[in-house]
Amino acid sequence: MAGNLSSLVIDTLCDEPCEEEIAIAMFYCDFRDKEEQTTINVMGAILKQLLVRGEVLEHVQKAFQKAKKEVGGRGLRLPDMVQMLKQAVATLPKVFICIDALDECLPKNLLELLGSIKDILGESPRMRIFVTGRPQVEAEIIRVFTSVTIPISPKAHDIKRYLEKKLEMDTEQYAMSDCLRADILRVIPERISGM
Amino acid sequence: MDHTSYPHSVSFGDGNVNCNNITNSNNTVNVNKIIADENPEIMRWLSPLDPRRRHQDVRIDRLDGVGNWLLETSEFQGWRRSEGGAGGAVLFCYGDPGVGKTYLR
Repeated sequence: MAGNLSSLVIDTLCDEPCEEEIAIAMFYCDFRDKEEQTTINVMGAILKQLLVRGEVLEHVQKAFQKAKKEVGGRGLRLPDMVQMLKQAVATLPKVFICIDALDECLPKNLLELLGSIKDILGESPRMRIFVTGRPQVEAEIIRVFTSVTIPISPKAHDIKRYLEKKLEMDTEQYAMSDCLRADILRVIPERISGM
Repeated sequence: MDHTSYPHSVSFGDGNVNCNNITNSNNTVNVNKIIADENPEIMRWLSPLDPRRRHQDVRIDRLDGVGNWLLETSEFQGWRRSEGGAGGAVLFCYGDPGVGKTYLR
């Protein structure tokens, strides 16, 4: 299951009181849904999560009513979506957006997505974006943003926690001894994390 | 606008440990109360995708304590406090599959 670091960040932002009001939107990119995860759908999913205040919703409602009257009903285009997002982010005091596994979206969507976010950020520089992905998307991110980057390497503590859980869940407990358990918890984290 | 005027707001998660209201002195924004949830037509118009469901799945499987190192980094803390203006707006965590970004849970 992907997305653990992102979900941790989202929960942390949700849980810990902040001095100002915050709104959080998240998106988990998934290669299994990459066809449906177009830039406009992703931005729309983010905007949906920012409909936390009446004035933001009213603005979107107006756009919706207007679109309904037009021929074909729905012609929502990316610039319209970005415009609505700009308005929403500018209205809310503080917006955090978390996007997980950016490498899992289609390459043709990636730059468009980053460009749209940059566009919004240009008008609301206090907005904060958390992104995870494989190293190969770093080049794209650097092309678009001056970002702060943190490399993730395997952490011995995290691996140990994971192994402990797996050992607890082991259905064949009789095959385990304290000695073997201790060896597993010592050797594997050391090897993987290179410590 | 006080969100309490929308009685049918929907929250997600297990309602237990996270996603409390974020409050300050005189106003409250519940970060996960989306007042448009009672407007399904608009929600569909905006996007067919609903990432909140995925978030719930992921967080249920997450192990306590795993990944906490990130929260303690000065980069994360600075990002969260909005230091660095627009230049510090984007925090990118990268790693290969299996290093903990994805599969540690």
